[in-house]
Amino acid sequence: MEIIAIILLILLVGSILSFLINRVNKNFTGVTAFLVALASGVVFFTKVQSGYQFNFQLAGLDLQWGLTDYSYYFAYIIFGLSVLALLYSIKYMEGKARLGYYYASFLMTILGMLGVVVSQDFVSLFIFWEIMTWASFLLVIYNSYYKIKTKGIKYMIFSAIGAYAMLTAIVFIRVHYDTLLISEAIAKGAFNFEQYIYIPIFLLLGFGIKAAVMPFHVWAPSAYSKSPMPFTTIFSGAMSKMGIFGIGLVFTTFYLSNDPENFYWVRTILGWLGGITAVMGTIYALIQTDAKKLLAYSSVAQLGYIVVGLSTGTELGVMAALYLAVIHAVFKGALFMVAGAVEKQVGTTDMTKISGLIRKMPWTFFVALVSIIALAGVPPLGGFVGKWLLYEALITESNNYILVVVVFFSSTAAFMYSYRFLFGLFLGQEEKETEHIKEAPVTMIIPMVILAVIAMIAGSYPGLIFEPAAKAMEAIGFQNVSWQMSSLTNIWGDTTDLFLISMMIFAVFIIAFIFLTLKGLKKTRYVGTKDISTSGELPKEWENLTFQIDFFKPFERAAAPLYSMNMNKIWKNLGKNLEAFFGFFRKLYTGNGQTYALFVVIFLVVLLLFKDVIFS
Amino acid sequence: MMDFQTLFEQNIEIITIAVYGTAIALIVIGLYAVLMKKHLVKIVIGLSIMDAGIHLLFVAVGYISGGTAPIFSPGSENAATTMVDPVPQALVLTAIVIGFAVTALALSLVIRLYKHHHTANIDQLNSLKW
Amino acid sequence: MVITPVHYIVAPLIAAFAIPLLTKIHKDAARIVPGIVLFYNVVISFFLMNHIAEHGMISETLAGWEAPWGINLVVTPFTGFLATMVSILGFIIWLYGYRFKRTLKGGEVKFYEILQMMMIAGSIGIIITGDIFNMFVFIEIVGISAFSLTAFYRSRDGAEAGFKYLLIGGFASAFLLLGILIIYTQTGTLNMAQIAERMPEVPQQMKIIALVFFLVALGIEAEMFPLNGWAPDAYSQAPSPTSATFAAVVSVAGVYALIRVVFTMFDVEGVNNYLMVMGFVTMLIAEIAAISQKNLKRMLAYSSIGQVGLILISFGIGSNLAVFGALFLMLNHSVIKSLLFMAGSYFIYNTDDKRITALNGIHKKLPIVSFFFALGSLAIIGFPPFSGFWSKFYILISAANEKYIFLIIGILLVTIIELTYYLRVVGRIYFAKEEEGEPASHRPSINALVAMSSLALFIIVIGVYPDLIMPHIQNAADALLDKTNYIQQILSVKN
Repeated sequence: MEIIAIILLILLVGSILSFLINRVNKNFTGVTAFLVALASGVVFFTKVQSGYQFNFQLAGLDLQWGLTDYSYYFAYIIFGLSVLALLYSIKYMEGKARLGYYYASFLMTILGMLGVVVSQDFVSLFIFWEIMTWASFLLVIYNSYYKIKTKGIKYMIFSAIGAYAMLTAIVFIRVHYDTLLISEAIAKGAFNFEQYIYIPIFLLLGFGIKAAVMPFHVWAPSAYSKSPMPFTTIFSGAMSKMGIFGIGLVFTTFYLSNDPENFYWVRTILGWLGGITAVMGTIYALIQTDAKKLLAYSSVAQLGYIVVGLSTGTELGVMAALYLAVIHAVFKGALFMVAGAVEKQVGTTDMTKISGLIRKMPWTFFVALVSIIALAGVPPLGGFVGKWLLYEALITESNNYILVVVVFFSSTAAFMYSYRFLFGLFLGQEEKETEHIKEAPVTMIIPMVILAVIAMIAGSYPGLIFEPAAKAMEAIGFQNVSWQMSSLTNIWGDTTDLFLISMMIFAVFIIAFIFLTLKGLKKTRYVGTKDISTSGELPKEWENLTFQIDFFKPFERAAAPLYSMNMNKIWKNLGKNLEAFFGFFRKLYTGNGQTYALFVVIFLVVLLLFKDVIFS
Repeated sequence: MMDFQTLFEQNIEIITIAVYGTAIALIVIGLYAVLMKKHLVKIVIGLSIMDAGIHLLFVAVGYISGGTAPIFSPGSENAATTMVDPVPQALVLTAIVIGFAVTALALSLVIRLYKHHHTANIDQLNSLKW
Repeated sequence: MVITPVHYIVAPLIAAFAIPLLTKIHKDAARIVPGIVLFYNVVISFFLMNHIAEHGMISETLAGWEAPWGINLVVTPFTGFLATMVSILGFIIWLYGYRFKRTLKGGEVKFYEILQMMMIAGSIGIIITGDIFNMFVFIEIVGISAFSLTAFYRSRDGAEAGFKYLLIGGFASAFLLLGILIIYTQTGTLNMAQIAERMPEVPQQMKIIALVFFLVALGIEAEMFPLNGWAPDAYSQAPSPTSATFAAVVSVAGVYALIRVVFTMFDVEGVNNYLMVMGFVTMLIAEIAAISQKNLKRMLAYSSIGQVGLILISFGIGSNLAVFGALFLMLNHSVIKSLLFMAGSYFIYNTDDKRITALNGIHKKLPIVSFFFALGSLAIIGFPPFSGFWSKFYILISAANEKYIFLIIGILLVTIIELTYYLRVVGRIYFAKEEEGEPASHRPSINALVAMSSLALFIIVIGVYPDLIMPHIQNAADALLDKTNYIQQILSVKN
C-alpha cells in the first residue's frame, strides 16, 4: 500500500478512534488525537520525499497523488501547526462537551488539508477540499449552539460557492484539455488567460474565497472567532493557506512564462483586491473590542498581503508571499493560542473587561509580545523580513506605487491594533475580578512558546524558511531562486545582516531589562485602578476607567465612511432579498387541487400550441 | 322501409361525425366540470365523464365501416379483413374497470373529506400549501 | 429458465389475494408475507441479471402470444438494473416498516401491507413491460395503491392530499389513454418495440401531438413542474415508509416511463431540449420552495422533486455519459432519499410534530438516527466522499462535454440553495438548544436500524469506491441508448 494512503488512513482511523475513545474515557481523547497527528506527521516527514507520486484509477478516472516541493512546503505548515494545536487542545478543551466530536472533526480537517496538498489531480483535490470544508464546518458550529442560523451557514455557503466554482473549472479542464492531472493541465496551458478564460477565473474564485479575498471575506471573521481557539489557529494559519496554495498553482503558467506582461489585468485586479482586503481587514480590526475578533480581522488583512505578493509574480514577491504564509501561520497561531489561553483562564476575551494580565500570565504575555512584534513587522522578528521583501518587490519590480502606499498604510495601521491587543489584555491596571487568575497550564504554554521561538529564529535566520520556499518556487516555475541565510540585500547592493541586528536589539533589551528591574525593584508602588483622583474627585465605584472603552474613538469617527461600506450588510441583504423572492415562487403551490389541475391543462394547451416551436 | 343496417350505412359519415363529436364533447364537458365546478362530487363526475369520452373515442377508432364482430367462426375464416379491430375494445374494457376503481376511491375520499371539513367545496380544502 | 420475469407480477398478485385469508390463520401473516414476496423479487432480480449477463436480454411473452401481438416482459441490462434497484429498495423499506404498525393510526395493517406491496410490484411492472397499454395498467395499479396509501391515515390532511393526488392522477391516466390511442391509430400496435420501428412512417404532426400527451401524462408521474402540485402533499401526508417508497420507487418508475417513451418510442428532435429546460425549471422551483418549508417531510418532498429535475436535465443532455450520470443519480436519489425519509420519520414519530422547529437538539434523544440523517443530507447535496458526489460529477462532466456552461452554473447555484436548507435542519438537530424532555419514547427498532444502516453503508462504500457499481450502470445506459438492438431483439425473439 502506498505510504500516502497509509498516512491518510492513519488520520481517518485516528479520527474514528478518538470519537470512540471519548465514549470510554474523556481524558484520553485529546492525547489520542495528538499522538495520531504526531505519528502521521513523523511518518510523513521520514518516509515521504518530494517527488514521490503514484497513479491509480477510481471511477474510471486517472488520478495521481504525490508531492512536489511546492506541496511539501505547505505540508510543513499543516503538520507543524496541527500537532502544536492538538497539544494545546488537550488542556484547553478539558471539561468541555462533545470532545469526541471535536477531535474527530479536527483530525478529519487535517486529513482534508493534507489530501489537498498531496493531490496531483483535480478530482482528488476537489474531494479533499470538500472533506476539509465540511469537517471544518463541524468545528465552526461547535461553539454556536444557539446561533446556528447565521454563523456556520454563512461559512458553508461561501465555501460551497468557492468549491462549486472550482468544480465548474475542473469539468471544463477535463473537457477542453482531456486531462485531470494538474501538471498536465499546466503543461497544456489550461490556466492561460487567452483561451477558455473562465477556467482560471473560476479556479481563482474558488481558491480566493478560502483565502478570504475581498469581497468574499465576510465569512472569515465570524468563522474564525466562533470556532474553538485551537482550531482557529489551524483555520487561519493553515487552512486559509490552502487558498494561497491554489492561487499559486493557477499562476504557475505565468511564473513559467517569465513574461511580466502576461496576465497583466488579472494580476493587477487580484493584487488590488488583496490590497483592499489588507486595508479593510486592518481597519475593521481596529474597532474590535473582542480580542478574538481583532485577530480574525487581522488574519484577513495578512492574507491580503500574501495575495498581493503572489500576484506581483516576481521572484521577490512570491518569495515574500511564501515566507509570509509560514510566518503568518506561526505568529497568528501563537496569537490565537494566547487569546485561547486568556479565554480559558479568564472566561472572556473582551478587551473592555480585562486588563493587566501581565503579572498573572507572564509566559502568555511573553508569547503575545513576541508574536505581536512579528505581526507588526518590526525587526528583528519574522514579520519584518516578509514585509521588507514585499515592499521591495512592489517598489522595484512591479512599479505599482499606489498599491505600495495602500499596503504600507495598512501595515502601519496594524500597529494600532497590535498595540490595542497587547495593551488591552496584558497591560493597564489590574482589575479586581482578575485577581484569582493563574497562568495557563503547561501543555498550553509549550506550543505557544515553540511558535514564539520560531518567530524569533525566523527573524534572524530567515534563510531557514527561504530554503524550502525557494525549492517550492522552483516547483511552480521559477528558475534559480536566490536566497541568503541571514541577510537581506537590496537592489543597490546594500546588505543587512539580520543576525547582527537581532543580537544588537536583544542586547539592548536585556540591558534595559536588567537596568529597569534593578531600578524598579526598590521604588515601584502598585496602585489599584480606583486609587487615583482627578481634579480632587475620587472616582466612584461604578466608573469604568479602563482605557479600552472608546480606545480609538477619534480614529473611528474619522474613518466612519469606511465602516459604513459594510460588505457583510450587502451580502446579508442579498440573501434576504433572494429568500423573499423565492417565497414569491413558492406561492405557485396554492394548495388548491383544482388549480393544480388547471396547471396541467394549461401546460398541455401551451405545449400543443407551441409544439412546432419546441419539437421539430 | 329501409332496415336499420342500410340506414346506418347510408349515413355513415354523419354517424361517424356524431360519434367522434360526442366523444370530444364528453371530454370537454368533463374537463369543464373538473376545472370549473367547486363541488367535489361534481369534480368526480367530471372525471368520469372525461373517461367515458375517451373510451368512446377508443371504440370509435376501432370501428371499420361494415365490419363484423371480431369472432372467427366456421364459414368466415377469411373474415379478418372485415372485422372491427378487437384491440381497442379490449383496452376499453380494461380502462373502464380501472376508471370504476378510481371513481370508487375518489368518492370514498370525498366522503372522508366531507366528514372532516363539513364542506365539499374544493376551494376550502387547501390546508396543505406552499 | 426456472425463474422468469413474470414472477415479478404473479407473486405479489397471489400474495395480495392470499394475505386476507392467511391473516385468519396467523395474525402476523399480513406483515410477513409481503416481506417474503419482496425478498423473492430480489432473488428474481439477481437471477435475471445473472441470466442476461450470460445470454443477453430476455423478452418473455405472456399467454403464448408472440411479441408484437401479445404482451411481453422485457429484461435488458437497463430495465434489469432498475428492477433490481427497485426490488432491493422495496425490500429494505418493508424491513424498515416491519414494526411500523404502531403508527398506523386507525388503519389496518393488512391493507397497508397489501397496498404497499402492490405499489412496488406495479412499479416493477412499469419497468419491465414491453407493451404501452400494459404500462398504463401498471401505472394505474401504482396510482390506486398510492392514492389509498396517501389517504391511509384517516386524517383531515391525508384525505385532502389523497384527493389532490387522485385528481391529478386522473388527468394523467386520461391523457395517457389519449396518447396511446393516437399512437395506436397511427401504428396499429401497442408493442413499444414495434411502435418504435413504425414510428418513422407516422406523420410528423400526429407524432408530436401524441408525444405531447405522453409528456404531460408521464410528466405528472415523473413530478415535472408544473404538473407536480400533488407531490409535496402526497409525500408529506403518506405514512413514512410510503413516502420513502414514493421517492425511491414510484418516482423512479415515473421517470423510467417518461424516458422509455421519449427515448425508445419517439424519434422527435427538440424533446431533449424540452427535458433539459423543464428539468431545470422543476429543479429550481422545487428547491426554491423547499428552502422556506416548515414541515420536514414537505421539505424532503420538494427536495425529491428537485432531484428528479436534475435527473431529467441529465437525460435531456442525452449523451451516453449523461444517461450514465442520470441513472447513477437515480440510484443515489432512491437510496439517499429513502434514508432521509426513514430517519426523518423517526424524528416525527418521537416529537409528534412534523415541523422542523420540533427537531431542536433531537440528536441527544436519537443519536444514531440523527447521524443517518446528517449523512444523508451531506450525501444528497453531493459532498464527497459520499455517493451523491459521483453522480453529480458525471452529470456536470457530461454537461461540460456539450459546452452547457450556464446549465452547469445553474445546477451548482441550485445546489447551494439545497445545501442551505439541509444544513439548517442538520444544524437544528445537532446544535439548537434542546427542549427539555424525557428520553426518546420510540427508539428505532432493530429491523429499522438494519434497514437504515444498509443504506448508509451503501452511501459510504459507493462514495469511496464507485467502481463497484459503475459497470452495471454503464451497461444500463448502453442498453437504454441502443434502440435498434432493443427493437430487433424483441421482434425476433421466439419462445
